[in-house]
Amino acid sequence: MMTRSLVLALAATSLASLAPLTPALAAELKVGASNMPPYLDPGRDHSNVGSQFYYNSFDTLIEKDHSTAEAKFLPGLATEWNRIDDLTMEFKLRPGVVFHNGEPLTADDVVFSFNRMFKASFPPYEVRAKDRLNNFDVAEKVDDLTVRVRTKKPEPLWETLVNMQQLMIVPEDYVKGLTGDPKVAENSDFEAFALAPVGSGPYRIAEFIPGERIVWQRHDGFWGEKAPFERVTVRAIPEMATRITALKNGEVDIITNLPPDQLATVEADPNLKTAGMVTPLFHVLIYNTLNEKMASPKLRQALNYAIDRQTLSEALWQGKAVVPSSHTMEPFGALYMPELKTFEYDIEKAKELLAESGYKGEEIRIDTSATYYTNGLLAMQAVAEMWGAIGVKTRINVDDKWTGNDPTMNARNWSNPMYFPDPFGSFGVMWAPGGPSEGEGRFKTDADYAEKWERFRFSADVAARREAYAELMERIKNDPPFLVLYQPYESWGMRKNVDWAPAPGHIPYVLDFRAGSIRVDG
Amino acid sequence: MVHTTLSAPPAAPSLVHRATRLRAGLADVWADMNWILRCTAILGIVLVALALAAPLIAPFDPNAQSLLSRLKPPMGLAGAKDGYLLGTDELGRDILSRCLHGLRLTLGVALLGAVIGLLLGGSLGLLAGIAGGRVDDLIMSLVDIQIAVPFTLVALLTVALLGGDLSVLIAVLGIAYWEQYARITRGEVLRLREMPFIEAARAAGASGWRIAVRHILPNLISPLVVVFTVNISNIVLLESTLSFLGLGLRPPTATLGAMVGMGRDYLPSAPWIVAAPALLILLVTFVIQMLGDFLRDRTDVRLRER
Amino acid sequence: MLEYALARLLRMIVTMFVIVTGVFFATRLSGNAVDFIGGEGLSAADRATLVAYYGLDASWFEQYWRYLRALAEGNFGISLLERRPVSTIVLERIGPSLQLLAGAVLLTLAVAVPAGTLAAVYRKSWAGSMIMGVAFLGYAIPNFVLAVLLILTLSFWLGWLPSSGNGSLAHFVMPVVALSAFYIASLTRFTRNAMLDVLSQDYLRTARAKGLAEPRVIFKHALRNALITVLSVLGLQIAGLAAAGNVVIETIFAWRGIGEMLVTAALRRDYPVLQFGVIAVALAVILINTLVDLAYGAADPRVRLARS
Repeated sequence: MMTRSLVLALAATSLASLAPLTPALAAELKVGASNMPPYLDPGRDHSNVGSQFYYNSFDTLIEKDHSTAEAKFLPGLATEWNRIDDLTMEFKLRPGVVFHNGEPLTADDVVFSFNRMFKASFPPYEVRAKDRLNNFDVAEKVDDLTVRVRTKKPEPLWETLVNMQQLMIVPEDYVKGLTGDPKVAENSDFEAFALAPVGSGPYRIAEFIPGERIVWQRHDGFWGEKAPFERVTVRAIPEMATRITALKNGEVDIITNLPPDQLATVEADPNLKTAGMVTPLFHVLIYNTLNEKMASPKLRQALNYAIDRQTLSEALWQGKAVVPSSHTMEPFGALYMPELKTFEYDIEKAKELLAESGYKGEEIRIDTSATYYTNGLLAMQAVAEMWGAIGVKTRINVDDKWTGNDPTMNARNWSNPMYFPDPFGSFGVMWAPGGPSEGEGRFKTDADYAEKWERFRFSADVAARREAYAELMERIKNDPPFLVLYQPYESWGMRKNVDWAPAPGHIPYVLDFRAGSIRVDG
Repeated sequence: MVHTTLSAPPAAPSLVHRATRLRAGLADVWADMNWILRCTAILGIVLVALALAAPLIAPFDPNAQSLLSRLKPPMGLAGAKDGYLLGTDELGRDILSRCLHGLRLTLGVALLGAVIGLLLGGSLGLLAGIAGGRVDDLIMSLVDIQIAVPFTLVALLTVALLGGDLSVLIAVLGIAYWEQYARITRGEVLRLREMPFIEAARAAGASGWRIAVRHILPNLISPLVVVFTVNISNIVLLESTLSFLGLGLRPPTATLGAMVGMGRDYLPSAPWIVAAPALLILLVTFVIQMLGDFLRDRTDVRLRER
Repeated sequence: MLEYALARLLRMIVTMFVIVTGVFFATRLSGNAVDFIGGEGLSAADRATLVAYYGLDASWFEQYWRYLRALAEGNFGISLLERRPVSTIVLERIGPSLQLLAGAVLLTLAVAVPAGTLAAVYRKSWAGSMIMGVAFLGYAIPNFVLAVLLILTLSFWLGWLPSSGNGSLAHFVMPVVALSAFYIASLTRFTRNAMLDVLSQDYLRTARAKGLAEPRVIFKHALRNALITVLSVLGLQIAGLAAAGNVVIETIFAWRGIGEMLVTAALRRDYPVLQFGVIAVALAVILINTLVDLAYGAADPRVRLARS
């Protein structure tokens, strides 16, 4: 009896020692994150904090090849899709997909997931949906595995949009059944869902404590390749020194948000390494053009010309940040337009324009939060110094409060993420007529701007879109409501035996732990 | 008539007379100190002098950034930059200059804050003790509220509401600990009220005010000195906590506490950013504590011998 | 005595009421919660929708009235940030906070009382000065500096202790030490001063004249009398600890406690959590203070008599 179990034990351990030869379906991965969202709902969330976590648990109809920045779309929950007419796309769903709670995924769930965003009645969905989903009209069930989606105007960006995080699929019956009437999706259902989310992805959310911890467990019923880990724990460790120490001690295997200044500390340890990438996201400096002090376009042009962004990149990012000449980045593919020269550094021009603007020495207030953007506070201090060099008086206001809608705001930092790989997914969302910037009352558009924007957004022809975008950037150059600082270089720290790096085809900050994206050796 | 227990009010002393008495008093104090205390006193004078002279002796403008010379180590270590004796911080600013100005700011803020607390708390405590009754109850309720609400939150909300101005910061730090002064003062007043020499003074017709000033105040010096010295340290620490939380003075101006708060991320890679200001905080606190304890012991002994 | 206790109780209730009202209005004065919890990039109309959804559109007085009524029912509201009942959040966090508090109190007592006593007894020699010197460090170093230094030495370089989180006794060491340092310094000082006061009293001279051995004099007579002062100070320190110093420690060691909850709620204007937190802490502090006060009165007959 004893001998037999002994033999079995020996066999088990020797088999286990063979593990390095095959990608081990390893036991557990531990992550130390700098922050964690207070809720988890892919439709509701547009923050850079939450975006880290949805991909492991939710799927979209159309998947993307994340190994490249180019937009290469693949079947996801939908196996094929066809344009039925100008305004309608039909999707054939993959059979046999099962949610984390065992429910099968059918057209009903897709229709529910889409319409909860397209025809939102839950205020947190309502106020965010129009940024990107404005053109979607309704989703309809054709049969259990077929869905039709209609738009209001012909849509040139179908695949890009359907691949968005906001259109990840959630289970209808589960959501409705969470509170109150199980046949109705009430506001309280959506609130409850955000605390106990269920999706169809390779990991199910076994535990979620807002702001503290997420525990993922392998979803055995996943339709694709099984998750490489049985269990993944993400713990919030906001303090930098603690996070780096946790990595060094082996308490965690990966840590997030490692600023460039700390890379050397991690790399000095022979058991650790770092991985980073230029994030598809811009740190921008925005102005309140409707504020009396900032009204003169020449003043804002002067302010833009006065900032040496290349030096900022070298000083704060070890030169690894990308300083674009316009609101454009590589993942845009055919719509990437580096030839546009919307922002330049020219200190003489800055002084000239400042004089012409009639600036009388008023103090410009720069708002920034203490730690939300990596190097954000440092960058704003540097900017204040650079403006001081041309004779502009500044005052820095450190506050976590969002002052974008504050009429007394003069200038502040912000981020324009790439929500999907198209300029519409970055500039388009943030600076649309009636969009977030105009809506907050710090930016005004006119008929000419709106016309150019329509062309840029809806033209079927890529060349026409490029032309319109160039015209928009020209307007921005002449009357700047913002300055693009750079694409930050973000890094992660990890143990040497972890084979993971942020993938170029994802939206910013995604922690992709699906099969093929990560491996732990030994 | 027994009137010798009350001494006549002394004639207004001349300036020379006062100076001589002061010098004699200081010489007295110096003579009482052991060598450690003497060194401490000298250190204290040096620190105050540095703080006062900061704008004159600082080699660089404390807010002048040199972005391409960030995080440089102090002179003598590899990679140091000429002229920057203690190295540069995360924006390439000279640490030595920032420390000098920071020392000036920290001492100024802490001293002002402590004085505000002393005046505010002391007078309220005095009032509560002497007036008694309803006034006493009201003031003690205020004390209760002050103790009950975590002051960090109050400070936080106040700074958030009014901004990180120097005056706001000083005001906030000033009211942070007033109740300590109030309670001590009130306690002493209550204790002394029952003492015979106060009865005698009252019987001889002295007004409440005169009793307060001539008889009660001198007895308060000792406990108040202790509270004052502890208070200054507490204020320095409270200010550090506020800057840890991202509040406190707006950048680029920095107190020593703010420099330590902002620099803590760099402890493993650039420890000089924290070490220099932290050391200064240590020295300041050390001097204040040592001298405060000494003065307290001294005044106490004197009292007992009277 | 009873009259005094009742008067204190009344004062306690009034204080609580003032605090509750004060916090309610003060937090609303300093900004609308919506701007901190996802209100960015919204048009005025959309922002108004969100504000209405969170129930922040009514006039302050109406909100206040609603709040008081809910309080009366024991309903502390829903966190604006986490969308969960405040009571759930607090229950999750109170355990860790109490653990830290208990650890800090025990450590403080265990170290400060003997240290202070020894410092008083050996005040003339270098040993006494040395003890005070070390104790003094607890004052001079901001607690987050101490915390980070501890992490870097004991965890980063030496790898002896885990850096953060909660789970084993080892996780306790650094947070408790970092938290207590200040209070140990403070209590050591107080103990020393109290002992000095007592040691010079006449009745001790009598005891010594009677031939009692010095240790007996110290422990049986001196310490016992000094203890009243020491304990009352400790009581106040507990109150202080319960109130706020922990936010720094909790953030650095990723220790999810009440301190960090309160500060985050204040920074993000999460009104329900902030209001509840302040009430809870105020209640705890006032209770502790009242108890200490009453105990002090019961122990010291002079005070008791003065009060009646």
